[in-house]
Amino acid sequence: MAEDKMVQDAPVAGGTKKAGVLNRFDNPWLNWKFLGGAGILGLLFFIIFLGYQFWDTDLALSARAPLNLPPIGFENWRGQTGVPEHPLGTENSGRDMLALWIVGTPRTVFVGVIAATVGMLAGIVLGFMAGFLGGLFDDVIRLAVDIAITIPSLLVLIVIQAVLGRVDLLTMALLISLFSWATPTRYIRAQVLSMRESGYVQMARLSGVPVRDIMFKEIMPNLLPYLSASYIGNMQGAIISAVGLEVLGFGPQRIPSLGVAIFFSIEAGALFRNMWWWWGIPTVTLSVVFIALLLINLGLDEIANPRLRKAN
Amino acid sequence: MGGISLNYLLRRLLVFFLTLWVAATLIFIIPRLAPGDPIAAMVARLSYQAGFVENADLIIEGWKERFGLNDPVYVQYLRFMTGLLGGDLGYSMARFPSTVTELVGRALPWTIGLVGISTFIFFVVGNLCGALLAWARTPRLVKVLIPMSMIFTSIPPLLAGLLLSYTFAFLLGWFPQTYSYGFGLTPGLTLEFIASVIHHGILPAMAIVIVTFGYWALGMRGMMVTIEGEDYMILAQAKGLKPFYVLYRYMIRNAILPQMTALAVSIGTLVNGVVLVEVIFNYNGMGTLIVTALREQDFGLIQGTSFILIVTSALAVLIIDLSYPLIDPRISLEGR
Amino acid sequence: MSQQLNPASLSQTAEGTSQPADFASRMEGERSRGKGRKDRVVLKVDNLRIHYATPQGDVIAVSDISFKLYEGETLGLVGESGCGKSTTAYGILQLVQPPGYIVNGSIEVDGTEVLDLEEEELRKFRWTGLSLIPQGAMNSLNPTMRVKDQIIDVIEAHEGKQSDKEALRERIFGLFQNVGLPNRIYNMYPHELSGGMKQRVCIAMGVALHPTAVIADEATSALDVVVQRIVAQTLIKVKDEIGVSLIVIGHDMGLLAQIVDRIAVMYAGKMVEIAPVENVYAQPLHPYTQLLIDSIPSIKERKPLKITEGITHDPRNPPSGCIFRLRCPFAWGHCAEVEPRQIMVEDLHEVACHLYDEQFHERRANALATIANS
Repeated sequence: MAEDKMVQDAPVAGGTKKAGVLNRFDNPWLNWKFLGGAGILGLLFFIIFLGYQFWDTDLALSARAPLNLPPIGFENWRGQTGVPEHPLGTENSGRDMLALWIVGTPRTVFVGVIAATVGMLAGIVLGFMAGFLGGLFDDVIRLAVDIAITIPSLLVLIVIQAVLGRVDLLTMALLISLFSWATPTRYIRAQVLSMRESGYVQMARLSGVPVRDIMFKEIMPNLLPYLSASYIGNMQGAIISAVGLEVLGFGPQRIPSLGVAIFFSIEAGALFRNMWWWWGIPTVTLSVVFIALLLINLGLDEIANPRLRKAN
Repeated sequence: MGGISLNYLLRRLLVFFLTLWVAATLIFIIPRLAPGDPIAAMVARLSYQAGFVENADLIIEGWKERFGLNDPVYVQYLRFMTGLLGGDLGYSMARFPSTVTELVGRALPWTIGLVGISTFIFFVVGNLCGALLAWARTPRLVKVLIPMSMIFTSIPPLLAGLLLSYTFAFLLGWFPQTYSYGFGLTPGLTLEFIASVIHHGILPAMAIVIVTFGYWALGMRGMMVTIEGEDYMILAQAKGLKPFYVLYRYMIRNAILPQMTALAVSIGTLVNGVVLVEVIFNYNGMGTLIVTALREQDFGLIQGTSFILIVTSALAVLIIDLSYPLIDPRISLEGR
Repeated sequence: MSQQLNPASLSQTAEGTSQPADFASRMEGERSRGKGRKDRVVLKVDNLRIHYATPQGDVIAVSDISFKLYEGETLGLVGESGCGKSTTAYGILQLVQPPGYIVNGSIEVDGTEVLDLEEEELRKFRWTGLSLIPQGAMNSLNPTMRVKDQIIDVIEAHEGKQSDKEALRERIFGLFQNVGLPNRIYNMYPHELSGGMKQRVCIAMGVALHPTAVIADEATSALDVVVQRIVAQTLIKVKDEIGVSLIVIGHDMGLLAQIVDRIAVMYAGKMVEIAPVENVYAQPLHPYTQLLIDSIPSIKERKPLKITEGITHDPRNPPSGCIFRLRCPFAWGHCAEVEPRQIMVEDLHEVACHLYDEQFHERRANALATIANS
C-alpha cells in the first residue's frame, strides 16, 4: 500500500540516544541475579560431582583419618600442619573435611528440596482452593495459615524430635514440610485473588471457560515466576529449619550433613580451640548456598515484577 | 482516626486464642503419638546415660502416677489445658524442685529483650535503607554502599552468629563469647550491669540484624517503587513540597503499612532464628533453656518452654496486628 | 448528512454556517465569560517538544507545540487518547515522568522561563505559578493523610510554617466554601469521601495559593455525568472568583464547549488548530477538527462515526510533511513534502493546514466542491 510506503519513507526521529533504557526491555529471564545465583549453585554442584568421581567419600565416616588436622598451609593448636591426604583438614573423630563437604552439602540441599516441594504442592492446592473457591474454604484456610505462620515452627519440631530422637534426612524433610505449606499458601492465595479480579480472567469466566481451564491455562502461566520465587523462598526456609535442627543435634550422626558437622564442632568447642575449618567450611558453604538462592529469588522477583526491573 | 473495628478485633483475637489452643494441643498430643511410652523412653535414655537404673519399672509407674498418665487421655488433656490456663506448666523433671514456670520466668525476659531490640534495629535500619535505595535523591555512593552491606541477607542467623562470634569474640576479643552478662555481676539497675548486658548483647543482636535487615530493605524498596507510580506522588511533586517531606510523609508513610503486615508474618521465623543464636552465644534465654532441657531429656521443660515462646510470638503478632489500624486509616473501615 | 463536513466551514466566511444550533445557544447560555482579556499573556509555550525513550527509538509525544494563554482565559485542550494533550500539560508543569523527557522548547509563565529554573526555584514556583488539578482524583490524594493536612502541607511548603492555626483553619474553610464542600470533611481521610468530593478537594487545593494558571487534566473524566457537570461548574466559578487562568484538558467536546473560551485541538503530538470556541464549533477549519466536531454525538440524530477512517502512523516514525495526511480526505503531494505551519486566519484563530495557505486557494475550492457533491 502506498500509505505504508510513506510511513516507511518517513525519517526516523529520535533515535537511540538513551541507550541505557534499552536493557530493561530485553528478555526478562536474562536477569543477572537469576543467572548469577543459578550459576553459583551449578558450579557448586559441578565441583561436588567431580568430588564424588575423584575423592574417596568413605573418608566422611569417622575414624578414617588422623584427628584434628588443619587444612593445607595452616597449623593447628598442637603445631601439626595440613597434609595433602586431607587438604581441608579433619575433625576430632577422624572424618576428612573434604569428603564430609562432598557428602554433606547435597544432603543439606536434599532436605530443602524435599521439604520445599511437599510444602509448595500443598501450598498450591490450598492457595488455589482458598483464592478461587472462596467462601468457607477461604475462611478455614486463611485461619489455618494465620495460625501456622504465627507459631515458630522450630519449637514444634523440637518437641517432635525430642520425642522421636534422631531421625534420617527424609523423615526430617517431611517433618519440616509440615510447616512449610503456610507461607506459599498465603502468597498464592493473594496472587490468585488479585488475578481472579483481573480483566482477562473475568472475561474467561464470563465466556464460560471451565474453572479448571481458567486455573491452569489463564492463571498458572502468569503465576509461574511468582511460584518459582515462592518455591526458592520455601527452600531457603526449609534448609534453615533443617540446619537449625541439625545444629541442635537432631541430624543423622553416621554420615553427617553440614548442620550436623556444625553441631559436632560446637559440642567439641571448636570455636574455642580455633578449629575454624571444622565449623567454618560448612558455614561458608551454607552461606554460599543461601546467597545463591537469594539471588535467584531476587531475579525471579524482578522477572515477575517489571516495575522492580525499572527501578534498577 | 477510625480506630479498630469490632470485626477486626474479634478476628485477631480469634486467631490469637486459636493459635494458643493449637499449640497447646500439639504439644500435648505429640508425645502421645510417638511409638512407645514417653516416660519409659525417657527412663531408658536416662539409664543409658547413667549406666543403669534400679527398679526402672517402679520408677516408670511412679512417674506415670505422678503425671496422671494412667488416666484416660481426655482427662489428661483437660488437666493439661486447665494447668496451662492457670500458668501451671508442671515441674522440671531434671531439676525437680524447680517448676517450669520459674525457669521460664528467668529466661524469657532475656529472649524478649534480644528479640525486641534486634527487631527494632533491623526494622528501622532495613526500611530506611530500602527507602534510600528507591529514593531518586539518594547520593549515588549510598546507593552503592547499601547493597554491599546486604551481603549477609538470607544467611541463617545461626551461621552469622558463628562468624561474628569467631571474628569479634574469639579473634579480636572485642566482645564476650558467651552469656548475657559478666560473671560475678548481680543483676540490677547498676551502670556496670547494664553496660555488661549491652556488651554481651551486641553480637547476638548483630547476628540477627545483619542477616535480616536486607529483606526489609528489599521489601521497602519494592513498596517505594510501587508508590512512586501512584497518582498522589505526581501531585506531591506538582505541589512543590520539600523533597524530604515527600519522602517521609508521602512515600515512607504509605510504604510502611505493608511492611508492618510483613513483620507480623515474620515473627515466627524470627523466633526460630533467635533460639539458635542463643545457642551459639550460650545466651541465657529461652533458646539455651530448650537446648539444656534437650540435653537433660527434660520433657516437661521442653514442652513448657516451647509453649511459652509460642504464646509470646502470638502475643507479639497480636500487638502488631492491633497497632496498624492505628497507622492505616483505611483498615478500620474495611474491617479486613 | 450535509452537516458532516460542512462545505461552508471551509470557506473562511463566517456566514452561512449550518452547525447544529443547539451548540451555539447552549454555549451562549452557559459559558462563563467572554474571551479572556487578551492584553496580557500569562503563559507562553514555544516549540515544546517531548519524547518518550523506547528501545526502538523515541516516541514523539509532543511535537513543537506553541500557544499562549491570556490572563483570565479558559483554554480547552482536546484531542483523542494518546494525542499528547496530557503530556503537554505535564511538560508545562515540569512533571514529565521518565522515560519521557523534554527535548526542546520554552515555557514562560509571567515572563519567567520555567525550564531555566534551578531545583529550589522550581520547587517554589510550583503551585504558586502553575497548579494542577489531576486526572482521576480517586488516587491523587494521599490515602494516609487527612484532607486538611494535604491542603496545609502545600500552604506551609510555600508560605512557611503557619503559627496561627485558627486563621489557617478559616482559610481552608474558605476554600471549602469556594468549591462547595462542607466543613465536616476537614478532618476526614480521602477514602471517606465520594469521587466528586475528592475532585473538589483537588480543586480547592489547586487554587489554595492563587496561582497564575491552573491546569485541570481530565478533571471530570472519572465522574458520572451529573457530578461531572457540577464539578465543571464549580471549576469555572472558582476560576472566576479567584481570577486565575485555566487550561482544561479533556476529550468531551460537549462539556468543554460550555466552559472554555478557546479550544486548542491536538493531533498526534501536533497542535492543528486553536480558535475561539464559537469558531471551532461553528466553523472548524482543519480537516481533523471537522472530523472531531462531527464525532460529537447528538441526541437528535444518529450519525455514523467518521473519526475511525484512515490509518494512524507509527509514533516513532511520523510521516513526512503533514502529520494528518494519512487520514486526511484532502491530502495531496504537497502535504507529504512540506510540514504546514500555523496560519493565522483570524484574530486568535490559527490553523496548521496547507488548505489555508493562500497559494492553494484553488485546491481549497476543489475540496469544497468534492464535499458538496458527496
